[in-house]
Amino acid sequence: MAANFWTSSHCKQLLDPDEVDVVHPLDRERGITQEEFRLVKIHMSFYIWKLAQQVKVRQRVIATATTYFRRVYTRKSMTEYDPRLVTPTCLYLASKAEESTVQARLLVFYIKKMWPDERYRFEIKDILEMEMKLLEALDYYLVVYHPYRPLLQLLQDANITDLTQCAWGLVNDTYKMDLILIYPPYMIALACIYIASVLKDKDTTAWFEELRADMNVVKNISIEILDFYDTYKIDPQKGLLDEKINPIMNKLPSKA
Amino acid sequence: MMMMPAPVPNSHPYSAPGDEDASLSSKLVADRYLKREVLGEGTYGVVFKAIDTKTGQTVAIKKIRLGKYKEGVNFTALREIKLLKELKDPNIIELIDAFPHKGNLHLVFEFMESDLEAVIRDRNIVLSPADIKSYLQMTLKGLAFCHRKWVLHRDMKPNNLLIAADGQLKLADFGLARIFGSPDRKFTHQVFARWYRAPELLFGAKQYGAGVDVWAAGCIFAELLLRRPFLQGSSDIDQLGKIFAAFGTPNPSQWPDMVYLPDYVEYQYVPAPPLRSLFPMASDDALDLLSKMFTYDPKARISVQQALEHRYFSSVPAPTKPSLLPRPPPKGESLNNKPPDLNAPDGPLVLSPPRKLRRVTVPNEGFDGKNYQPENADDDQFREARQAENQSTGQSSKVPMSIDVGALFGSRPFPRPTLNSADKSRLKRKLDLDPDFENPR
Repeated sequence: MAANFWTSSHCKQLLDPDEVDVVHPLDRERGITQEEFRLVKIHMSFYIWKLAQQVKVRQRVIATATTYFRRVYTRKSMTEYDPRLVTPTCLYLASKAEESTVQARLLVFYIKKMWPDERYRFEIKDILEMEMKLLEALDYYLVVYHPYRPLLQLLQDANITDLTQCAWGLVNDTYKMDLILIYPPYMIALACIYIASVLKDKDTTAWFEELRADMNVVKNISIEILDFYDTYKIDPQKGLLDEKINPIMNKLPSKA
Repeated sequence: MMMMPAPVPNSHPYSAPGDEDASLSSKLVADRYLKREVLGEGTYGVVFKAIDTKTGQTVAIKKIRLGKYKEGVNFTALREIKLLKELKDPNIIELIDAFPHKGNLHLVFEFMESDLEAVIRDRNIVLSPADIKSYLQMTLKGLAFCHRKWVLHRDMKPNNLLIAADGQLKLADFGLARIFGSPDRKFTHQVFARWYRAPELLFGAKQYGAGVDVWAAGCIFAELLLRRPFLQGSSDIDQLGKIFAAFGTPNPSQWPDMVYLPDYVEYQYVPAPPLRSLFPMASDDALDLLSKMFTYDPKARISVQQALEHRYFSSVPAPTKPSLLPRPPPKGESLNNKPPDLNAPDGPLVLSPPRKLRRVTVPNEGFDGKNYQPENADDDQFREARQAENQSTGQSSKVPMSIDVGALFGSRPFPRPTLNSADKSRLKRKLDLDPDFENPR
């Protein structure tokens, strides 16, 4: 790993599985269930991804933005922190933190272009105000590690670089879950390699044994990923259907 | 009358306290900090002294100006926050807290009494070999911690090495720092104040590593020994000329990658003078370490960790304990000191720009405010001079706030270069606004 994960703030902030996915009391009052909370987070992961496609940032920025977003909602309510504003602001903040700044006006422009829904529209000043609130909500911890780099190194080490595309896609999909808040990134990378090797009929047993990684954790992560695909069956291009997500979003207050 | 001096961008904002100014009202910021006097103008906002009512600790608070062009929290400030939250070490400045207040972001740092530049330029201070060893060791320890965390500082210079009340030296100003270690990642070479820039940067290298900080630390080591900046180039070309004059023009066998660097130009061959002739007072161990820190090929240059393990640090004399190191007097008192004898025949001539000499005062006969050079003055100077007027120090109120010794004695040195505004705007363009920069997809 390029920088030292084990001494990082990211490592220290890892949470137990039962600490994520807890619906904030204010959101519960509005009738948001745990399942609906999960759906909003999936929906917003797609939103970040779609917006990022427009402004053209690296995968890493998208991953960092999604991590910020998920971290914020382990601490704050969607009632007080409108996800429709928090999401683009996370992308804005992540682009700065990852040293490839996207201008706020560009984000505002593409949001207007892509989402006709009034409730998704914000002005530059809204994003800048939210940026400050997000910094506070994140306790100013901005460095995040991702599975991408260990993934490439591990694939190389196992001499199965032909699985790169498949495993990389799997890693992308892990950001539709809260895995990045719970597990060290290289463990997530291993789980994705594990699934990819099963999918593509590659025998990696010997290699995994040699690694001496905790295979129980790797298998748990893999099962979570497979469960996710099973449960949601989401169109990877379109994301959640409007009729599924709109009723949930309607429970949340909007600026309008 | 005296003009209000223009603030010098890189005069260090955390340090330089004046006496408390009664005209500034004290109030509680964010329900916690008792605001005291302004310390200076930093690169991106005002810095003031404050008391943390929760801990009783004295702190320095940076108020971050919001970025221009509606770009939210200043990019440089954000970088500093991001990295300092990861870097907790006795030899790195501590970011204690951050909070928004009236729409501005405020960063709370531990309060630092002085900086290494003030130590080096203070002619009243004698630095023994053990003292120099101690200051260098603390510099390298802080740097080693950064490098272990894969952070390049990229702005190492004495002015950014702050000194705490207990004598500990701490790296500060991470506004140019970057996480490195990604393969093939391209960086800007417009980093470091010129005098501390490694030759690979001067030749335009875009892919570089921890060696750039080592070179700068070598320059600081040399500056501690010489009591003046070592290689004072007036342009990038001249800087390389100064480097080659000191260590000889490198040949490709010494540094094979050199000729492939983007801005490589061939220099006339000059042989290296014996290193001993440049540092007549240094020990053999010190010279050996220096030569390893100034190795041309960044791949062959000593690492910070190896430097710390060098026998220079284990041989006698042992490094001075930080609490026993000589330090400049707290700045508010400095004007009470007897002015040093400028006519001393053999004293080391401090070849620093005028603003470095603010503590050098001379009897007022023959000088008036006109001799004052406003272009290099800073706020601290102004404040100190004002205090000199207010306090009855036995000196006339017409004593100028500083004397340009170079102009008086005919050996005016170059002003210490910092990143100038052109460099900065270039950096900013490259780093902030060009989404494709460093982004080879």
